[in-house]
Amino acid sequence: MGVTKEDVETTLTSTLKPTHLEVVDTSGGCGASFEVEIVSEQFEGKRLLERHRLVNTALAEQMKQIHALSIKKALTPAQWKPEDKAQE
Amino acid sequence: MAAPTQISRFDPFMSPPLTSRKPNLSFPLFSTSFTSLSFPSFSLSLSRPKPQTQRSYRHRVHASIRKLSESDSLPISKDPEDLDASIPTGAGVYGVFDANGELQFVGISRNIASSVDKHRKSVPSDLCSSVKVGPADTATPDRMVLQSAWKSWIEEHISATGKPPPGNVQGNYTWIGAPPDIRLTPGRHVSLTIPLEELIDRLVKEHKVVAFIKGSRRAPQCGFSQKVVSILESHGVDFVSLDVLDEEHNYGLREKLKSYSNWPTFPQVFVGGELVGGCDIISDLAEKGELKALFQK
Repeated sequence: MGVTKEDVETTLTSTLKPTHLEVVDTSGGCGASFEVEIVSEQFEGKRLLERHRLVNTALAEQMKQIHALSIKKALTPAQWKPEDKAQE
Repeated sequence: MAAPTQISRFDPFMSPPLTSRKPNLSFPLFSTSFTSLSFPSFSLSLSRPKPQTQRSYRHRVHASIRKLSESDSLPISKDPEDLDASIPTGAGVYGVFDANGELQFVGISRNIASSVDKHRKSVPSDLCSSVKVGPADTATPDRMVLQSAWKSWIEEHISATGKPPPGNVQGNYTWIGAPPDIRLTPGRHVSLTIPLEELIDRLVKEHKVVAFIKGSRRAPQCGFSQKVVSILESHGVDFVSLDVLDEEHNYGLREKLKSYSNWPTFPQVFVGGELVGGCDIISDLAEKGELKALFQK
């Protein structure tokens, strides 16, 4: 068993204090690849590369076991439109 | 988003894909100096003396290789022997047409039949149905003659259709094959004389766009690398690539690059010596239409 979805959620929540976080295990539960969608004030004033770096750094331990991490969205609260998501 | 319509020139000394990259040196070339040329005594160009040698030269160019529209269409046979029998084996330009009679690619070759045969083997068969040939009138034509004829054929097609043949648009490697990846060393047996990190630094600053990918550019080994290569090529980006999985030629690159770029995954794309990002960021920029501006900075 590799990294769990809960591992990723817990780590990102404690480090980046997101107002919105969605983690999807795209490897069918093996914990080998994840997609992440995250909204955090810590992204304010940062360009996309640096935002992705913040996520990579937060998950440094998990990255050793993750084959692929796909950061689909890294937005500030001002950029994020909750109505875009049907399930919110 | 339309791809740029720049014409990528097919170097007559570069072979089509899957063959040696060595230039074909078996054919001697004329000097490109205009003054070294002698015109046939019957040439029409002599009946109207030109003040500039260059103009007479260009006139001769058009006289020696016939126009695209005046060339006969020949079927491309699956049998190499039939192909050799029906298509000239000498030097010249040629245009390959698909099953619908649309011109797909104009190439230059020292052996037209050989080049067409290589295309037949590597290009989807529906794109490679018939060919028009413009053989040179000498066995060893001047390089400039071939290139001028090649340019004339493409311009003739653009005049008639408003756009270049798809296969000749920059970034389309269907016919000429993607450039080979850069290798850091000739092999693992060769030790580096400078630190790997310094070599990486020089590399990303020496080339405008560098993509570090898993697998080769022609055969990426992961979906993310494939996607990045596809995006860069469809935007007509002139980039170089390195295979981080190639342990023979790029030993140690994969780990060293992670610390150099402070980025844990691949692919990684550098522009102007600076990391731009991986597949997510490149995809994001492409979707927003911001990719082209980035590469033009």
